[in-house]
Amino acid sequence: MLWLKGWLETRFRLLFMLAFTALPLYNMHSAGTHASARSVSGLADGLASNVIPLFTVMICAFLAGAGIATQAPFRTSKGLHGSTLFTLSMPVSRLRLLAVRAGIGWLETAAVIGVLCCGMWLAIPLLMGVVTPIQMFEQVGTLIACSSTIYFLSVLLGTVLDDQWRLWGTILASAGIWFLCTHFSLPAFADIAHGIGERSPIVAHTIPWNVMVFSLGLSAILFFAALKIAQRREY
Amino acid sequence: MTDFVIETHQLCKSFRDQPALRGLDLQVSAGSIFGFLGRNGAGKTTTIKTLLGLLRADSGSAHVFGVPVTDADSAAGVRSRIGFVTEDKELYPYMTVEQIIRFTRPFFPNWRRDLEQRYLEMFELPKARKIPDLSKGMRSKLMLLLAIARGAELLILDEPTDGLDPAATEDVLRELVSITGSSGITIFFSSHQLSEVELIADHVGIVDQGRMVVSGCLDDMKARYQRVHVVLESGAGPPLRWPEGAESIRQEGRVVSMLCSHNADAIVEQAQSIPGATVERFPVTLKEIFLEHVRSN
Repeated sequence: MLWLKGWLETRFRLLFMLAFTALPLYNMHSAGTHASARSVSGLADGLASNVIPLFTVMICAFLAGAGIATQAPFRTSKGLHGSTLFTLSMPVSRLRLLAVRAGIGWLETAAVIGVLCCGMWLAIPLLMGVVTPIQMFEQVGTLIACSSTIYFLSVLLGTVLDDQWRLWGTILASAGIWFLCTHFSLPAFADIAHGIGERSPIVAHTIPWNVMVFSLGLSAILFFAALKIAQRREY
Repeated sequence: MTDFVIETHQLCKSFRDQPALRGLDLQVSAGSIFGFLGRNGAGKTTTIKTLLGLLRADSGSAHVFGVPVTDADSAAGVRSRIGFVTEDKELYPYMTVEQIIRFTRPFFPNWRRDLEQRYLEMFELPKARKIPDLSKGMRSKLMLLLAIARGAELLILDEPTDGLDPAATEDVLRELVSITGSSGITIFFSSHQLSEVELIADHVGIVDQGRMVVSGCLDDMKARYQRVHVVLESGAGPPLRWPEGAESIRQEGRVVSMLCSHNADAIVEQAQSIPGATVERFPVTLKEIFLEHVRSN
């Protein structure tokens, strides 16, 4: 039933994000009409390096939940919704509340990333000759794993901030991660920004396993921190 | 083994150095209807949230069903035996009446479908209507349904009749008394409506500035408290000192009025010993007892 609650809270956000992916896909289609079979490979690299990472961050920021608090379906909410007390009066641990809410958002994030990536094929039919289904599958998996750090950072922020500040906080923190990754020589495994972009399978033709494992590990730590805060927090 | 469903001892809780509870001692017996009274900011909601594990006490102890409530997760088992109505009556704005009932039901193995149906009909709740489209009174009724149908052993109700019209209030109060009588549920409720508390509570506790200032059986309390009017003969003065228990003594002209918290017989005896004085004693309302305690505090 917590899954149903989470779905009802997030379904319009999911629909909005799915509709939102039409924007980059339309632009890709416009760019793709002028591309030749020779130049489409460069176009795919450009999209995977620049456009897809930007939208991935936005998808994570928008679909990460508001912790264990009730989230308004359409808009970011300010202050704690009164029904949060109703949720907290249920005989449910805060681990379960947070895990279900974060789990739903993560699945939805994965779905939108999948639609965005696979939509590239529809937007630019020539891409089918350059990016194979296996490569696309690897690309989606890489993006989901590498962006999970941003997603769970947003979940963590959601346990301490109002929903509207969580959204902006996530975007700011993501910009910070990008700045760190591009201006400092971080170890390759910690270079999440490039894992989502230039080192992703479509561009680099290899799977950045080390970045994926690092990102998933960091996500687990971020989720654990969010849980500890949720368990300690008073309402 | 304690007979108290709720028991707190020296419970303290502060918010940013502002004390909300200052050593609250509270005992609620099984099967009782306990009216929890206090002014705004007296500590009622803080106490309720602490009992549910939504707030952590700074010091002291709180036990519900004999189980210590220390934090949210330790209280999860306790919450399965509690029905709770929040002060603001907010529920999920994206659900309908039917959806929130279907959502709540699986969390409570003892869910009472008979009570669910009964209150749906009695409160005339439209199943298909979205929660934001319900009036505050309707939301109060829906929250009561969700609390009672849980098959809970304890109902914690924060201003349960807030927003209800007089007829609905009457229905709700009658139902609360009825379920206590039929299934032995304990009801712990806070209210500003002293007349409602007086109508259904068998025990009351008055909290002020985070402390319990008076607590006990309402009938005993009303038997113990009396108002005494002494009409003095012209030129006569009241005694310099009244026996213990004479409180809130006021004199207007020849009439001395006082509230006796106890020892009324001795006070009346002393009043009668004043030459020419006429003495009358009256029963007091809960409102008078309440005002006496919160004013003097």
